[in-house]
Amino acid sequence: MAIGAFVGLVGFSQAFEHEWLRIYSSSGIDIAVIQQTFLNTNIDESAADKVRALPSVAKATPMIYNVMDLTPDVNALVYGWKADSFEFQSLRILSGRPFHDGHPEVMLGELLASNLNKQVGDTLTLEGASFSVVGIYHGGSALEAGAVIMPLDQLQQLSSLQGKVSTIHVQLRPAPAGISSDAYLKRAEEQIEAALPGLRAVPAVERASNNQLVRLAHASAWGTSSIALLIGILGIANTMAMSVFERTREIGILRALGWKHWQVLLLIQMEAVVLGLGGGILGILVGWSALHLLSALPETASIVSASFPFELIFEALGIAVLAGLIAGALPAWRGASLSPVEALRHD
Amino acid sequence: MTDPILEVRGLHKSYDEGRIEALRGVDLSIQAGEFLAISGHSGSGKSTLLHLLGGLDTPTSGSVLFQGKQLGSAINLDAYRCHHVGFVFQAFYLLPTLCAVENVQAPMLAAGKSHGNRRQRAESLLCEVGLEHRTCQRPNQLSAGERQRVAIARALANDPAILLADEPTGNLDSTNSARIMEILTGIQKARGMTLIVITHEEEIANSAPRHIRIHDGRIVP
Repeated sequence: MAIGAFVGLVGFSQAFEHEWLRIYSSSGIDIAVIQQTFLNTNIDESAADKVRALPSVAKATPMIYNVMDLTPDVNALVYGWKADSFEFQSLRILSGRPFHDGHPEVMLGELLASNLNKQVGDTLTLEGASFSVVGIYHGGSALEAGAVIMPLDQLQQLSSLQGKVSTIHVQLRPAPAGISSDAYLKRAEEQIEAALPGLRAVPAVERASNNQLVRLAHASAWGTSSIALLIGILGIANTMAMSVFERTREIGILRALGWKHWQVLLLIQMEAVVLGLGGGILGILVGWSALHLLSALPETASIVSASFPFELIFEALGIAVLAGLIAGALPAWRGASLSPVEALRHD
Repeated sequence: MTDPILEVRGLHKSYDEGRIEALRGVDLSIQAGEFLAISGHSGSGKSTLLHLLGGLDTPTSGSVLFQGKQLGSAINLDAYRCHHVGFVFQAFYLLPTLCAVENVQAPMLAAGKSHGNRRQRAESLLCEVGLEHRTCQRPNQLSAGERQRVAIARALANDPAILLADEPTGNLDSTNSARIMEILTGIQKARGMTLIVITHEEEIANSAPRHIRIHDGRIVP
């Protein structure tokens, strides 16, 4: 169960991070200009004009992220974009049209539209205000597929944050010949930070893996998994202690036959590792199934992807082996240290 | 006379912080290839002596020398049990989850023999004790006599110089007892091994060329 929890939770957090990365890569974002925290909306919208004026910047668009309750059971990411944002390149309109700035209109991801049973022409109520659903889109990631996108000015008004944005997304011009893309990116970051004192320019890849939501997901996943693993280790240790106790005479026989201390130790440790591995394989199946189940549920589909990081299997198996070794260490040591005569006398 | 294979000097063994004295100063010399019977009443200390001779336990004082080297200091006890002695116990002490041929291979695993060699030698030893058709049986599928024969084959696995048998016929009927003693003495003669048998049966003790008695932890005339 501990490995199942690890695979389910860490798999979820890694898939969550992967989905963020997909948003940035499919939108062609190179740099995110932020203040300090992810959902902070203290950046003046006018800062986007200063960024656009920089020589290495091709496009810059301000935007807001928010998380809102759409119904008592469903909440979703809500993006505030400008109608001319370059981020629309990652979307494919399935029905309807893009929204217009200044109008109470929203576009829904296909997954969210399906979950809410909304179509083009319907009305969506957000924070007590009504918005027309003008488009249904297919997004580049599961997060976008379960999101609402609306005009930036409308979301600012709805959130009482007129003139403020969360982030400015930047697309750079192609790197000049003779300059590596990394060096070009670094130079652009420095230019942006010089032009906007107090703000940070963060590469999109770093932004995807290091934003507060992803970090919170990682921390929660590892924290919960660690507790589950600790309980799992205690479970294996108890099983191994019982096993060694019940087979004390067999250990005595092996010692009488000339088995060395380390050979008996290895035998018991191998058994603990096999026990851990068996549980690990079962846990991987449970965790994988849980991820698939969550990705299919309307309540969680917008933030849980069914994609399963392959390296997670090796991490889980490694942790299972390690858990077996840790859990088996003390019982193995005690078993191997038994006097052959005393062990043979054991009933 | 050649040097003894085993020599015991001033051997004492006590338990329970000295309140129980199992051996009270035993001196004994055993030649290579000798068949020695040790008899005594229950609690006389004969099994304790066998445990010390076999390196299963350590003395409170005194020493056991194998080929002139002291057990536990000059010779590691694990290595001694693995390479130089084989045990046959009254209760057989076979591993219940392993079949006969696997039980015989257990000491060879400790000695690091390869799988192919182990299997071949185990089958050969089982053949030697007349169990060539019972190699794949688990202990609970074997009779008491057959179990003891598997135990004898196992004791010979690493070709030891000394065979220690603790009441090897104690759990057997008279027919099987005779068969087991016949196998043990046959092996001792054929291989020139040193055979030390602990027994409380006078008939078996008297059949050995050398017989010593233990009473209250001392060798008596």
